[in-house]
Amino acid sequence: MIKTPDLIASLAANATPVRRLRPPVMRAACWLLLAAVVLTLLAVNQGVRPDLVQRLQEPAFAVSMTAALLTGVLAAIAAFLVSLPDRSRLWALLPVPALMLWLSNVGYQCLTQWVAIGPEGMSFGEAARCFATLVLTGLPLSLAMLVMLRYAAPLRPTAATFMGSLAVAAITATALSLFHVIDATVMILMWNFGTAALFVGLAGLFGRRMFRWVAPRTLYARD
Amino acid sequence: MTHDPGSRGPSLRLVGKGESGGADQTASAARDIDWSILMARAQEGDRAAYRRLLQEITPYLRSLAARRHRDPGDVEDSVQDVLLTVHSIRQTYDPTRPFAPWLVAIANRRFIDRLRRQGRTRNREVPLTAEHETFCEPAANLEERPDGRELEGMVSHLPPAQQKAVRLLKLKELSLKEAAAMSGMSITSLKVNTHRALKSLRKMLLDRSEP
Repeated sequence: MIKTPDLIASLAANATPVRRLRPPVMRAACWLLLAAVVLTLLAVNQGVRPDLVQRLQEPAFAVSMTAALLTGVLAAIAAFLVSLPDRSRLWALLPVPALMLWLSNVGYQCLTQWVAIGPEGMSFGEAARCFATLVLTGLPLSLAMLVMLRYAAPLRPTAATFMGSLAVAAITATALSLFHVIDATVMILMWNFGTAALFVGLAGLFGRRMFRWVAPRTLYARD
Repeated sequence: MTHDPGSRGPSLRLVGKGESGGADQTASAARDIDWSILMARAQEGDRAAYRRLLQEITPYLRSLAARRHRDPGDVEDSVQDVLLTVHSIRQTYDPTRPFAPWLVAIANRRFIDRLRRQGRTRNREVPLTAEHETFCEPAANLEERPDGRELEGMVSHLPPAQQKAVRLLKLKELSLKEAAAMSGMSITSLKVNTHRALKSLRKMLLDRSEP
């Protein structure tokens, strides 16, 4: 067991200059820029869904998509705020209104158009391509978020992972509805809720372990 | 010059009594600004400032930790935990914001983590007490052997010499020499008695189990 004065001496000897983190909103903007780049690349590669312009004129679709995008933006900001020790934990409530709007809109569409789905409403090939979009969007964004949030590991790992994965999930859901014809109700439900549940669940399972992996080294040496 | 401190001392104390809250607040605000400046310089790599900062926050952290932990060892461990955490995430401090809330938030996380870890350990682990020790005396361990009670009953039916021989040599697992010294019987008679005892025990146990 090292004595506290010795510990202080060794820490002071290791005090290399560090770069201060930029303000949380700015860091969220950087991450969102990355998200925009990923979405643009996917759009160039896969092409936007053919009926996007018509669909955007339908209020239900437009509201649902805007709400998903807004959830992503707000959750990203909340994640970076919550990851700092001296900001209130209540920032985690920031994306809640947008999230409610998004989920209730998806639920409403399901209720009103339940009959509209036929057996031809979904095809396996489309589902596989959807999955590819999901991985291509979700993976880089999750990794970037994880690395950017690594300083939250010793503080509020759960809240930060939750917000981060919500942001990734919302952006991914937006990407899915941009690129794929998934308006059959069950598909909407599956992809929107499924994506959100998938990312939040994965974060819950592996978040802490992944955080340990990228966390600043001195922290877990003594555990 | 000699007068000045004497005359100012009491008046200061009087003022201090009346407005201790206000004085405390200005003192802690000044301390906070000091710490902010020290931390800002530490972030730029000033080791002396960093060392002074860590030395100054240690007693403060100790008093915070003492509210959460009872064991002095725990208090010191959590203070060191907090110092290590502060070191590893010193990038996250923004010098335009007050220092104390930043520090207290980190400290509380560490204290609560330690309390939780202790709670988990307490639920899973039981400290060994004197009762958990084992004894070589067979009477202390008889319960652990499935047929111990039955065997003991059978042994007590034997003649006294055979009983003694089988108890010493087989149940306590002493050597012939030790058993001879302890019982006062000769080695030969011990051997003979053990042989007879085992023979009759075998017979008794087989009889009982066959029908």
